[in-house]
Amino acid sequence: MGNLFDFLRKHYFYFLFLLLESFSLILLVNYNEFQGSSLYTASNTVSGSVNKIFNGISEYFSLRKTNQVLIEELAKLHSRLPETYYKTDTTRHFYNDSIKALAYKYISAKVISNSTNKRNNFLMINKGRLQGLENHMGVIIGNKIVGQIVSVSPHFSWIMSMLNKDSRISGKFKKNNQLVNVEWNGGNYRKGQVKEIPKHVVIMKGDTIITSGNSDIFPEGLLIGTMCDYTISPDENFNHGELLFSTDFNSLGYVEVIIDIMRKEKEDLKASFNMR
Amino acid sequence: MDISSRTVFLNIIRFFFLIFFQVLILNNLNLGGYVNPYFYILFILLLPFNTPKWLLLLSSFLLGLGVDIFTNTIGLNAAACVLMAFSRPFVITIISDAPDSLIGDTPSIKNQGLKWFLYYVISMVLIHHFALFYLEIFRFSEFFNTLLRVLLSSAFTIGLILICEYLFYYNRK
Repeated sequence: MGNLFDFLRKHYFYFLFLLLESFSLILLVNYNEFQGSSLYTASNTVSGSVNKIFNGISEYFSLRKTNQVLIEELAKLHSRLPETYYKTDTTRHFYNDSIKALAYKYISAKVISNSTNKRNNFLMINKGRLQGLENHMGVIIGNKIVGQIVSVSPHFSWIMSMLNKDSRISGKFKKNNQLVNVEWNGGNYRKGQVKEIPKHVVIMKGDTIITSGNSDIFPEGLLIGTMCDYTISPDENFNHGELLFSTDFNSLGYVEVIIDIMRKEKEDLKASFNMR
Repeated sequence: MDISSRTVFLNIIRFFFLIFFQVLILNNLNLGGYVNPYFYILFILLLPFNTPKWLLLLSSFLLGLGVDIFTNTIGLNAAACVLMAFSRPFVITIISDAPDSLIGDTPSIKNQGLKWFLYYVISMVLIHHFALFYLEIFRFSEFFNTLLRVLLSSAFTIGLILICEYLFYYNRK
Protein backbone atom coordinates (compact mmCIF):
# COMPACT_ATOMS: atom_id res chain seq x y z
CA MET A 1 0.00 0.00 0.00
CA GLY A 2 2.85 2.34 0.92
CA ASN A 3 4.45 1.62 -2.42
CA LEU A 4 1.27 2.58 -4.20
CA PHE A 5 1.15 5.95 -2.46
CA ASP A 6 4.82 6.53 -3.25
CA PHE A 7 4.13 5.74 -6.87
CA LEU A 8 1.14 8.06 -6.96
CA ARG A 9 3.08 10.83 -5.27
CA LYS A 10 6.03 10.50 -7.62
CA HIS A 11 3.93 10.62 -10.77
CA TYR A 12 1.08 12.79 -9.52
CA PHE A 13 1.66 15.30 -12.33
CA TYR A 14 0.67 12.70 -14.92
CA PHE A 15 -2.30 11.46 -12.95
CA LEU A 16 -3.60 14.94 -12.24
CA PHE A 17 -3.21 15.76 -15.92
CA LEU A 18 -5.14 12.65 -16.97
CA LEU A 19 -7.81 13.39 -14.38
CA LEU A 20 -8.35 17.02 -15.40
CA GLU A 21 -8.08 16.32 -19.12
CA SER A 22 -10.60 13.49 -19.02
CA PHE A 23 -12.88 15.58 -16.85
CA SER A 24 -12.77 18.40 -19.44
CA LEU A 25 -13.43 15.99 -22.28
CA ILE A 26 -16.36 14.42 -20.43
CA LEU A 27 -17.80 17.91 -19.91
CA LEU A 28 -17.24 18.69 -23.57
CA VAL A 29 -18.95 15.53 -24.82
CA ASN A 30 -21.84 15.76 -22.38
CA TYR A 31 -22.49 19.35 -23.30
CA ASN A 32 -22.64 18.38 -26.95
CA GLU A 33 -25.13 15.61 -26.36
CA PHE A 34 -27.48 17.08 -23.81
CA GLN A 35 -27.70 20.74 -24.50
CA GLY A 36 -30.21 21.32 -21.75
CA SER A 37 -28.06 19.99 -18.92
CA SER A 38 -28.18 21.80 -15.60
CA LEU A 39 -24.56 22.98 -15.84
CA TYR A 40 -25.31 24.53 -19.18
CA THR A 41 -28.33 26.40 -17.91
CA ALA A 42 -26.49 27.61 -14.83
CA SER A 43 -23.71 29.04 -16.94
CA ASN A 44 -26.35 30.63 -19.11
CA THR A 45 -27.54 32.67 -16.14
CA VAL A 46 -24.06 33.70 -14.98
CA SER A 47 -22.72 34.72 -18.36
CA GLY A 48 -26.10 36.13 -19.32
CA SER A 49 -25.98 38.80 -16.67
CA VAL A 50 -22.40 39.82 -17.50
CA ASN A 51 -23.18 39.94 -21.20
CA LYS A 52 -26.24 42.01 -20.43
CA ILE A 53 -24.20 44.68 -18.66
CA PHE A 54 -21.66 44.82 -21.48
CA ASN A 55 -24.41 44.93 -24.06
CA GLY A 56 -26.09 47.76 -22.17
CA ILE A 57 -22.98 49.83 -22.87
CA SER A 58 -22.46 48.86 -26.48
CA GLU A 59 -26.16 49.37 -27.23
CA TYR A 60 -25.67 53.14 -27.19
CA PHE A 61 -23.44 53.01 -30.24
CA SER A 62 -26.20 51.67 -32.46
CA LEU A 63 -29.15 53.71 -31.18
CA ARG A 64 -29.49 55.70 -34.39
CA LYS A 65 -29.68 52.62 -36.56
CA THR A 66 -32.03 50.83 -34.18
CA ASN A 67 -34.42 53.80 -34.25
CA GLN A 68 -34.45 53.78 -38.00
CA VAL A 69 -35.25 50.07 -38.12
CA LEU A 70 -38.03 50.53 -35.57
CA ILE A 71 -39.59 53.39 -37.52
CA GLU A 72 -39.55 51.38 -40.71
CA GLU A 73 -41.10 48.43 -38.95
CA LEU A 74 -43.75 50.69 -37.43
CA ALA A 75 -44.68 52.09 -40.83
CA LYS A 76 -44.93 48.60 -42.23
CA LEU A 77 -47.24 47.50 -39.44
CA HIS A 78 -49.37 50.64 -39.70
CA SER A 79 -50.00 49.89 -43.32
CA ARG A 80 -51.40 46.53 -42.33
CA LEU A 81 -53.91 47.87 -39.82
CA PRO A 82 -57.58 47.29 -40.66
CA GLU A 83 -58.16 51.07 -40.68
CA THR A 84 -55.84 51.55 -43.62
CA TYR A 85 -57.88 49.35 -45.91
CA TYR A 86 -60.36 51.06 -48.15
CA LYS A 87 -63.74 49.71 -47.23
CA THR A 88 -66.00 49.09 -50.18
CA ASP A 89 -68.54 47.03 -48.32
CA THR A 90 -69.58 46.35 -44.77
CA THR A 91 -67.12 43.51 -44.28
CA ARG A 92 -64.71 44.21 -41.45
CA HIS A 93 -61.13 43.03 -41.30
CA PHE A 94 -60.63 41.16 -38.07
CA TYR A 95 -57.35 39.94 -36.83
CA ASN A 96 -58.72 37.49 -34.32
CA ASP A 97 -60.66 35.50 -36.84
CA SER A 98 -62.97 32.83 -35.50
CA ILE A 99 -62.71 30.86 -38.73
CA LYS A 100 -58.93 30.88 -39.11
CA ALA A 101 -57.20 29.60 -36.00
CA LEU A 102 -54.04 31.36 -34.92
CA ALA A 103 -51.06 29.18 -35.83
CA TYR A 104 -48.04 31.24 -34.82
CA LYS A 105 -47.25 33.83 -32.20
CA TYR A 106 -44.19 36.08 -32.31
CA ILE A 107 -42.23 37.37 -29.36
CA SER A 108 -39.57 40.02 -29.86
CA ALA A 109 -36.29 39.78 -27.97
CA LYS A 110 -33.04 41.64 -27.77
CA VAL A 111 -29.79 39.97 -28.78
CA ILE A 112 -27.30 40.35 -25.94
CA SER A 113 -24.46 38.31 -27.33
CA ASN A 114 -23.71 37.15 -30.83
CA SER A 115 -20.81 35.94 -32.90
CA THR A 116 -20.12 35.24 -36.56
CA ASN A 117 -16.39 34.57 -36.42
CA LYS A 118 -16.34 31.06 -34.96
CA ARG A 119 -16.98 27.72 -36.60
CA ASN A 120 -19.97 27.24 -34.30
CA ASN A 121 -21.82 30.43 -33.54
CA PHE A 122 -24.50 31.07 -30.95
CA LEU A 123 -26.64 34.02 -29.85
CA MET A 124 -28.11 34.86 -26.51
CA ILE A 125 -31.40 36.76 -26.17
CA ASN A 126 -33.00 38.40 -23.15
CA LYS A 127 -36.19 36.30 -23.06
CA GLY A 128 -36.46 32.85 -21.56
CA ARG A 129 -38.67 30.21 -20.04
CA LEU A 130 -40.69 32.79 -18.07
CA GLN A 131 -41.77 34.38 -21.36
CA GLY A 132 -42.87 31.01 -22.69
CA LEU A 133 -39.85 30.13 -24.80
CA GLU A 134 -38.82 26.49 -25.25
CA ASN A 135 -36.19 24.48 -27.05
CA HIS A 136 -36.48 24.03 -30.82
CA MET A 137 -38.35 27.26 -31.42
CA GLY A 138 -37.31 29.14 -34.55
CA VAL A 139 -35.80 32.62 -34.39
CA ILE A 140 -36.21 35.14 -37.21
CA ILE A 141 -35.56 38.77 -38.01
CA GLY A 142 -38.25 40.33 -40.17
CA ASN A 143 -38.99 37.52 -42.60
CA LYS A 144 -35.45 36.16 -42.57
CA ILE A 145 -34.13 33.19 -40.65
CA VAL A 146 -31.66 33.45 -37.74
CA GLY A 147 -31.54 30.09 -35.93
CA GLN A 148 -33.24 27.96 -33.33
CA ILE A 149 -33.34 27.87 -29.53
CA VAL A 150 -31.21 25.10 -28.03
CA SER A 151 -31.33 25.99 -24.35
CA VAL A 152 -33.49 28.16 -22.12
CA SER A 153 -32.98 29.50 -18.61
CA PRO A 154 -35.63 31.54 -16.76
CA HIS A 155 -34.54 34.86 -18.30
CA PHE A 156 -32.31 34.01 -21.25
CA SER A 157 -32.26 31.76 -24.26
CA TRP A 158 -29.30 30.34 -26.10
CA ILE A 159 -29.78 30.18 -29.83
CA MET A 160 -27.86 28.05 -32.28
CA SER A 161 -27.24 30.41 -35.17
CA MET A 162 -27.54 29.29 -38.79
CA LEU A 163 -23.75 29.74 -38.72
CA ASN A 164 -23.12 26.45 -36.93
CA LYS A 165 -21.90 23.05 -38.03
CA ASP A 166 -25.06 21.46 -36.59
CA SER A 167 -27.47 23.82 -38.36
CA ARG A 168 -29.18 22.27 -41.33
CA ILE A 169 -32.27 23.95 -42.69
CA SER A 170 -34.74 22.46 -45.08
CA GLY A 171 -35.31 24.97 -47.89
CA LYS A 172 -36.81 25.12 -51.32
CA PHE A 173 -36.55 27.08 -54.54
CA LYS A 174 -39.20 29.76 -54.56
CA LYS A 175 -39.72 29.39 -58.30
CA ASN A 176 -40.53 25.68 -58.42
CA ASN A 177 -40.74 24.38 -54.85
CA GLN A 178 -37.82 21.95 -55.29
CA LEU A 179 -36.49 20.91 -51.89
CA VAL A 180 -32.85 21.48 -50.91
CA ASN A 181 -30.81 21.57 -47.71
CA VAL A 182 -28.91 24.64 -46.52
CA GLU A 183 -25.79 24.41 -44.36
CA TRP A 184 -22.80 26.55 -43.41
CA ASN A 185 -19.26 25.24 -43.70
CA GLY A 186 -17.39 27.99 -41.88
CA GLY A 187 -15.42 30.90 -43.26
CA ASN A 188 -17.44 33.69 -44.80
CA TYR A 189 -20.51 34.42 -42.66
CA ARG A 190 -22.42 35.88 -45.61
CA LYS A 191 -22.37 32.68 -47.67
CA GLY A 192 -24.04 29.32 -47.03
CA GLN A 193 -23.96 26.02 -48.88
CA VAL A 194 -26.94 24.62 -50.73
CA LYS A 195 -26.82 20.82 -50.75
CA GLU A 196 -28.74 18.19 -52.68
CA ILE A 197 -30.21 20.19 -55.52
CA PRO A 198 -31.95 17.68 -57.82
CA LYS A 199 -30.25 17.25 -61.21
CA HIS A 200 -33.17 18.41 -63.29
CA VAL A 201 -33.54 21.77 -61.58
CA VAL A 202 -32.19 24.58 -63.73
CA ILE A 203 -30.27 26.81 -61.34
CA MET A 204 -29.90 30.51 -62.05
CA LYS A 205 -27.84 32.98 -60.10
CA GLY A 206 -30.22 35.08 -58.05
CA ASP A 207 -32.75 32.30 -57.45
CA THR A 208 -34.45 32.81 -54.11
CA ILE A 209 -34.29 30.02 -51.51
CA ILE A 210 -37.03 30.05 -48.85
CA THR A 211 -37.85 27.75 -45.95
CA SER A 212 -39.86 24.70 -46.92
CA GLY A 213 -41.95 24.39 -43.78
CA ASN A 214 -41.09 20.68 -43.61
CA SER A 215 -39.42 20.98 -40.24
CA ASP A 216 -41.37 22.04 -37.18
CA ILE A 217 -39.00 24.91 -36.55
CA PHE A 218 -39.73 27.45 -39.27
CA PRO A 219 -43.03 28.10 -41.04
CA GLU A 220 -43.00 28.02 -44.81
CA GLY A 221 -41.81 30.93 -46.92
CA LEU A 222 -39.18 32.69 -44.80
CA LEU A 223 -36.21 34.04 -46.74
CA ILE A 224 -32.95 32.10 -46.47
CA GLY A 225 -30.96 33.68 -49.29
CA THR A 226 -30.28 33.98 -52.99
CA MET A 227 -28.13 31.67 -55.09
CA CYS A 228 -24.79 33.23 -55.95
CA ASP A 229 -22.78 30.28 -57.24
CA TYR A 230 -23.28 26.65 -58.21
CA THR A 231 -21.45 23.65 -59.58
CA ILE A 232 -22.86 21.01 -61.91
CA SER A 233 -21.21 17.75 -60.83
CA PRO A 234 -21.73 15.00 -63.43
CA ASP A 235 -20.51 12.19 -61.13
CA GLU A 236 -22.97 12.77 -58.33
CA ASN A 237 -26.70 12.43 -58.02
CA PHE A 238 -27.15 16.02 -56.90
CA ASN A 239 -25.75 19.43 -57.71
CA HIS A 240 -24.45 21.78 -55.07
CA GLY A 241 -24.42 25.54 -54.81
CA GLU A 242 -23.69 28.53 -52.70
CA LEU A 243 -26.10 31.20 -51.51
CA LEU A 244 -25.86 34.68 -50.10
CA PHE A 245 -27.76 34.79 -46.80
CA SER A 246 -30.53 37.38 -46.70
CA THR A 247 -29.82 37.81 -43.01
CA ASP A 248 -26.83 39.90 -41.99
CA PHE A 249 -25.82 37.81 -38.98
CA ASN A 250 -23.29 40.38 -37.88
CA SER A 251 -25.82 43.15 -37.21
CA LEU A 252 -28.62 41.45 -35.29
CA GLY A 253 -30.18 43.78 -32.73
CA TYR A 254 -33.74 42.69 -32.13
CA VAL A 255 -35.06 39.31 -33.25
CA GLU A 256 -38.39 37.53 -33.06
CA VAL A 257 -39.05 34.06 -31.69
CA ILE A 258 -41.74 32.02 -33.39
CA ILE A 259 -44.09 30.17 -31.08
CA ASP A 260 -45.87 27.46 -32.99
CA ILE A 261 -49.21 27.19 -31.20
CA MET A 262 -50.10 23.93 -32.88
CA ARG A 263 -46.75 22.28 -32.27
CA LYS A 264 -48.01 20.09 -29.48
CA GLU A 265 -50.86 18.90 -31.64
CA LYS A 266 -48.43 18.02 -34.43
CA GLU A 267 -46.14 16.17 -32.05
CA ASP A 268 -49.03 14.29 -30.47
CA LEU A 269 -50.20 13.24 -33.89
CA LYS A 270 -46.76 11.85 -34.75
CA ALA A 271 -46.49 10.16 -31.36
CA SER A 272 -49.90 8.53 -31.67
CA PHE A 273 -48.86 7.10 -35.03
CA ASN A 274 -45.63 5.72 -33.60
CA MET A 275 -47.51 4.17 -30.70
CA ARG A 276 -49.54 1.98 -32.99
CA MET B 1 9.43 26.69 -3.62
CA ASP B 2 8.63 30.11 -2.36
CA ILE B 3 6.72 32.63 -4.36
CA SER B 4 6.29 36.14 -3.04
CA SER B 5 2.79 37.28 -2.22
CA ARG B 6 3.20 40.06 -4.76
CA THR B 7 3.61 37.47 -7.55
CA VAL B 8 0.56 35.57 -6.33
CA PHE B 9 -1.50 38.74 -6.27
CA LEU B 10 -0.29 39.80 -9.72
CA ASN B 11 -1.20 36.41 -11.17
CA ILE B 12 -4.68 36.42 -9.67
CA ILE B 13 -5.35 39.87 -11.14
CA ARG B 14 -3.98 38.70 -14.49
CA PHE B 15 -6.19 35.60 -14.36
CA PHE B 16 -9.43 37.59 -14.14
CA PHE B 17 -8.31 40.41 -16.40
CA LEU B 18 -7.39 38.02 -19.21
CA ILE B 19 -10.68 36.09 -18.99
CA PHE B 20 -12.71 39.29 -19.25
CA PHE B 21 -10.49 40.73 -21.97
CA GLN B 22 -10.95 37.50 -23.93
CA VAL B 23 -14.71 37.11 -23.61
CA LEU B 24 -15.73 40.76 -23.79
CA ILE B 25 -13.35 42.07 -26.44
CA LEU B 26 -11.40 39.44 -28.38
CA ASN B 27 -14.34 37.07 -28.82
CA ASN B 28 -16.25 39.90 -30.49
CA LEU B 29 -13.55 40.62 -33.06
CA ASN B 30 -14.48 39.58 -36.54
CA LEU B 31 -11.45 39.03 -38.73
CA GLY B 32 -12.74 37.21 -41.78
CA GLY B 33 -14.00 34.09 -40.03
CA TYR B 34 -10.59 32.42 -39.95
CA VAL B 35 -8.82 34.31 -37.18
CA ASN B 36 -9.85 33.84 -33.55
CA PRO B 37 -7.05 35.02 -31.26
CA TYR B 38 -6.96 33.31 -27.86
CA PHE B 39 -4.83 35.77 -25.96
CA TYR B 40 -5.95 34.63 -22.50
CA ILE B 41 -3.40 31.77 -22.50
CA LEU B 42 -0.79 34.43 -21.70
CA PHE B 43 -1.65 33.62 -18.08
CA ILE B 44 -0.27 30.07 -18.41
CA LEU B 45 2.79 31.34 -20.30
CA LEU B 46 3.71 33.85 -17.62
CA LEU B 47 3.30 31.68 -14.51
CA PRO B 48 6.54 31.60 -12.49
CA PHE B 49 8.98 28.76 -13.20
CA ASN B 50 8.69 27.40 -9.68
CA THR B 51 4.90 27.21 -9.66
CA PRO B 52 3.94 23.85 -8.10
CA LYS B 53 2.89 21.51 -10.87
CA TRP B 54 -0.52 20.76 -9.39
CA LEU B 55 -1.22 24.49 -9.24
CA LEU B 56 -0.10 24.88 -12.85
CA LEU B 57 -2.61 22.25 -14.01
CA LEU B 58 -5.42 23.34 -11.74
CA SER B 59 -5.18 27.07 -12.49
CA SER B 60 -5.05 26.36 -16.22
CA PHE B 61 -8.12 24.19 -15.92
CA LEU B 62 -9.99 26.95 -14.07
CA LEU B 63 -8.80 29.55 -16.59
CA GLY B 64 -10.14 27.48 -19.49
CA LEU B 65 -13.38 26.79 -17.66
CA GLY B 66 -13.77 30.50 -16.95
CA VAL B 67 -13.65 31.31 -20.66
CA ASP B 68 -15.89 28.33 -21.43
CA ILE B 69 -18.65 29.56 -19.15
CA PHE B 70 -18.97 32.74 -21.17
CA THR B 71 -18.90 31.10 -24.57
CA ASN B 72 -21.03 28.09 -23.58
CA THR B 73 -18.45 25.61 -24.77
CA ILE B 74 -18.05 23.88 -21.41
CA GLY B 75 -14.85 21.78 -21.40
CA LEU B 76 -13.46 22.98 -24.72
CA ASN B 77 -11.05 25.67 -23.59
CA ALA B 78 -10.45 23.78 -20.34
CA ALA B 79 -9.23 20.70 -22.22
CA ALA B 80 -6.92 22.73 -24.44
CA CYS B 81 -5.53 24.68 -21.47
CA VAL B 82 -4.86 21.58 -19.37
CA LEU B 83 -3.00 19.99 -22.30
CA MET B 84 -0.98 23.16 -22.75
CA ALA B 85 -0.13 23.37 -19.03
CA PHE B 86 0.86 19.71 -19.02
CA SER B 87 3.30 20.21 -21.88
CA ARG B 88 4.81 23.39 -20.40
CA PRO B 89 7.54 21.70 -18.26
CA PHE B 90 8.54 19.50 -21.20
CA VAL B 91 8.71 22.42 -23.61
CA ILE B 92 10.85 24.37 -21.14
CA THR B 93 13.22 21.42 -20.67
CA ILE B 94 13.59 20.87 -24.42
CA ILE B 95 14.27 24.49 -25.44
CA SER B 96 16.55 25.45 -22.53
CA ASP B 97 20.27 24.68 -22.45
CA ALA B 98 20.34 24.46 -18.66
CA PRO B 99 16.75 24.08 -17.44
CA ASP B 100 17.77 24.17 -13.78
CA SER B 101 19.40 27.58 -13.96
CA LEU B 102 16.77 29.72 -15.64
CA ILE B 103 17.21 33.38 -14.78
CA GLY B 104 14.40 35.30 -13.09
CA ASP B 105 11.18 33.94 -11.73
CA THR B 106 8.93 34.23 -14.78
CA PRO B 107 9.51 33.60 -18.49
CA SER B 108 10.22 36.85 -20.34
CA ILE B 109 12.17 38.29 -23.26
CA LYS B 110 14.27 40.33 -20.85
CA ASN B 111 15.43 37.32 -18.83
CA GLN B 112 15.71 34.54 -21.37
CA GLY B 113 16.29 36.45 -24.60
CA LEU B 114 14.09 36.84 -27.68
CA LYS B 115 15.09 33.52 -29.28
CA TRP B 116 14.20 31.42 -26.25
CA PHE B 117 10.97 33.33 -25.71
CA LEU B 118 9.91 32.92 -29.34
CA TYR B 119 10.49 29.14 -29.25
CA TYR B 120 8.57 28.98 -26.00
CA VAL B 121 5.57 31.06 -27.12
CA ILE B 122 5.28 29.52 -30.58
CA SER B 123 5.33 25.91 -29.38
CA MET B 124 2.92 26.54 -26.50
CA VAL B 125 0.44 28.54 -28.60
CA LEU B 126 0.48 25.92 -31.36
CA ILE B 127 -0.23 23.11 -28.87
CA HIS B 128 -3.16 25.04 -27.43
CA HIS B 129 -4.64 26.16 -30.75
CA PHE B 130 -4.32 22.73 -32.37
CA ALA B 131 -6.14 21.10 -29.46
CA LEU B 132 -8.78 23.81 -29.30
CA PHE B 133 -9.72 24.06 -32.97
CA TYR B 134 -9.76 20.33 -33.65
CA LEU B 135 -11.80 19.64 -30.52
CA GLU B 136 -14.22 22.37 -31.56
CA ILE B 137 -14.75 20.83 -35.00
CA PHE B 138 -14.54 17.21 -33.83
CA ARG B 139 -14.46 15.85 -37.34
CA PHE B 140 -11.77 15.35 -39.95
CA SER B 141 -13.76 16.32 -43.01
CA GLU B 142 -12.63 19.93 -42.68
CA PHE B 143 -9.01 19.05 -41.86
CA PHE B 144 -7.21 21.58 -44.06
CA ASN B 145 -9.74 24.31 -43.50
CA THR B 146 -9.19 23.93 -39.76
CA LEU B 147 -5.42 23.78 -40.20
CA LEU B 148 -5.55 27.16 -41.91
CA ARG B 149 -7.58 28.55 -39.02
CA VAL B 150 -5.11 27.13 -36.48
CA LEU B 151 -2.11 28.67 -38.24
CA LEU B 152 -3.68 32.09 -38.87
CA SER B 153 -5.07 32.35 -35.34
CA SER B 154 -1.79 31.20 -33.80
CA ALA B 155 0.11 33.86 -35.75
CA PHE B 156 -2.30 36.47 -34.48
CA THR B 157 -2.13 35.28 -30.86
CA ILE B 158 1.67 35.14 -30.94
CA GLY B 159 1.76 38.67 -32.37
CA LEU B 160 -0.50 39.95 -29.58
CA ILE B 161 1.60 38.23 -26.92
CA LEU B 162 4.84 39.72 -28.27
CA ILE B 163 3.34 43.21 -28.48
CA CYS B 164 2.08 42.88 -24.92
CA GLU B 165 5.44 41.60 -23.71
CA TYR B 166 7.26 44.56 -25.24
CA LEU B 167 4.67 47.08 -24.00
CA PHE B 168 4.29 45.97 -20.40
CA TYR B 169 7.14 43.74 -19.33
CA TYR B 170 10.27 44.52 -21.32
CA ASN B 171 11.25 47.81 -19.71
CA ARG B 172 10.19 47.00 -16.19
CA LYS B 173 12.60 47.13 -13.22
